[in-house]
Amino acid sequence: MQPDRIQDEPSAMTPLDPAHVAVLRIRFGLATAAAAALALLAARADVFRALPIPAWLPPATILLLGLAAALLLPVRRYRGWGYKEGKEEIEIRRGRLVRVRTIVPFGRVQHIDVAQGPIQRPFGLGTLILHTAGTHGASVPLPGLAYAEAEQLRDRIRAKMRQDLV
Amino acid sequence: MSAPAPAPEEKRLHPASLVVRWLKIVPQMLAGGIGLAATSEYGGVQRFILFAMFAGLIGALFALVSWWRFLYAIGPGEIVIEKGVLRRRRRVIPFDRVQDVAIERGLIARLFGTARVRVETGGAARDEGELDMVALGEAHALRDRVRPGARAAEAAREAPAAEPVLFAMDGQRLLLSGLFGFSLVFLAALAALVQQLDQFGIVDWDEWVTVERAEAAGRLVTLWATLMLATLIVLAGLAAGMVRTVLQDFGFRLTRTQAGLRRRRGLFTLSEVVIPLGRTQAALIESGPVSRALGWYRLSFQTLGADRKEGGVQVAAPFARMAEILPILAEAGFPAPPPPAAWRGGPRRALIRWGAPWAALALAAAAGAWLIDLRAAIGAIAFVLLGIAALLHWRVHRHAQDADALYVSHGLLRRRLAVMPYEKTQILAVSRGPLQRGLRLATLIVDTAGAQPMRGIRMIDLDQDEADAGADGLHAAFLAARAARKPRARRKRPAKRKPPAGHG
Repeated sequence: MQPDRIQDEPSAMTPLDPAHVAVLRIRFGLATAAAAALALLAARADVFRALPIPAWLPPATILLLGLAAALLLPVRRYRGWGYKEGKEEIEIRRGRLVRVRTIVPFGRVQHIDVAQGPIQRPFGLGTLILHTAGTHGASVPLPGLAYAEAEQLRDRIRAKMRQDLV
Repeated sequence: MSAPAPAPEEKRLHPASLVVRWLKIVPQMLAGGIGLAATSEYGGVQRFILFAMFAGLIGALFALVSWWRFLYAIGPGEIVIEKGVLRRRRRVIPFDRVQDVAIERGLIARLFGTARVRVETGGAARDEGELDMVALGEAHALRDRVRPGARAAEAAREAPAAEPVLFAMDGQRLLLSGLFGFSLVFLAALAALVQQLDQFGIVDWDEWVTVERAEAAGRLVTLWATLMLATLIVLAGLAAGMVRTVLQDFGFRLTRTQAGLRRRRGLFTLSEVVIPLGRTQAALIESGPVSRALGWYRLSFQTLGADRKEGGVQVAAPFARMAEILPILAEAGFPAPPPPAAWRGGPRRALIRWGAPWAALALAAAAGAWLIDLRAAIGAIAFVLLGIAALLHWRVHRHAQDADALYVSHGLLRRRLAVMPYEKTQILAVSRGPLQRGLRLATLIVDTAGAQPMRGIRMIDLDQDEADAGADGLHAAFLAARAARKPRARRKRPAKRKPPAGHG
């Protein structure tokens, strides 16, 4: 049992790798670019003719809002994450708007993945995914770990996994 | 069958399965034929008969080829199924992956003395290992070899009387439970049928419903006619529920076997399922508003990888008194729910979260009624009623804990009481949305393995500190229960009975 009440003190948790912020920024930026490009195509095709606004306004708005989001949101998201590796369990926190604290007992882990996306690769980051036999949260992801750290964590958890299912 | 088998052990299905397959294929082809005959201008009885004969022949050919190409073998530690006409598929299911083996006997199967065997592995794929059909003796032998835990001692099956009966339903009970099976599903089925007929061009909906007819019908719609129709629908709903219940639960019998609870039921399709006790995750005691008032409940177990049709939830007693349910629970190693005094709800401020959305909607509708259209008042009243229902629901959404298990009760009308032994915990989660954070509330979710429809056991809107402490406490209880279980070498607690004071 952990006596420490840490719901609102993320300091007790291990934060993700700071490079995760950059990964999130790039993801936001790419999504923004794609949306703006679509809006631009629509503008070229005179879709907005019926509206009493100049045709460049929708793509420009999307671009501005998206860039602002890419600047502001990743840090917030990054701060929402945290994990704590216990003796028999790993505790993962995520979310700023809806905050979820998940306790995954090592004995319940069925198998573990370490995944690396194309944007994570240049930053040397990876995502640890814990799979259980449950239904509500059958797989629990933990993104933004240094890849080597993710692999070490996986090996440590694997050593403590037990094979019985029920 | 003296088929030149490629390997000594490989077998074909019972030849009767040819008939079953044929009966399955031909109606499908005939349905197309009816449409063809109805729409084609040369349509006629002769043409249809010709087509039917053709369909019958083709169907027989298909059935023969797929039967010929379906082989199965029981190896030393695995079951191998090989099928497919053009693309061969070979599936190997190791015995230790098998969660359950179900034997089903439909009307035709019983005529031929055969059965359908389904090997469940807990995977998501359909038809994981289905043998449709093999001889009954073969089916039982197969199950005894394949099923986890069940070994030679299963010979007791031939004399089911030897197994202690935990619950059985006589005719009177069956009919009573049928009354509570009220269902309006048949209306949907009827609508689907009409649409189908419309598609095949037998009934033309547009031609059938004309303006004149609609007007004539309009004159007929009086208060009496409406009442009559409503009565008719209710009666039909009762009848449908009755028929369904009798078909499904006829001869319901729950017996204790070595590996678990054996359930037999069914009028035409006799089904036999073993609920493996080692794999039960939670017990559910459900009741509708009327049945609860009269003291009738339904007990089911959430299991891992059991019959997929019921999504891993197996009924153990469809319609029983609490006094009948508690011994079954005890037999399955589940504790009895604690007395009412032990149950607790969330803090009172949670009522704001349960009622506020409805209050907001009601206010919006009331404003709409005042400013735009008076008819919106109906919406306002409906939202107020829904809000009241939500507040009442909060009152009955309660939970309890004792030495062995967590108990959560949920649902205003259809109520579901879940019993989850601590050792069955998969993941614990504490979730807080924006409104919950403002009210310092949190939802504690306990995830269990197996069933989809459960989506975890939830305690909605606890005090947030209490929810956090609860998650830690449940985790500690999980570890303790596991540690206590270890030395017992995977053997399920043998009917650990709670003291009789356990239930009120």
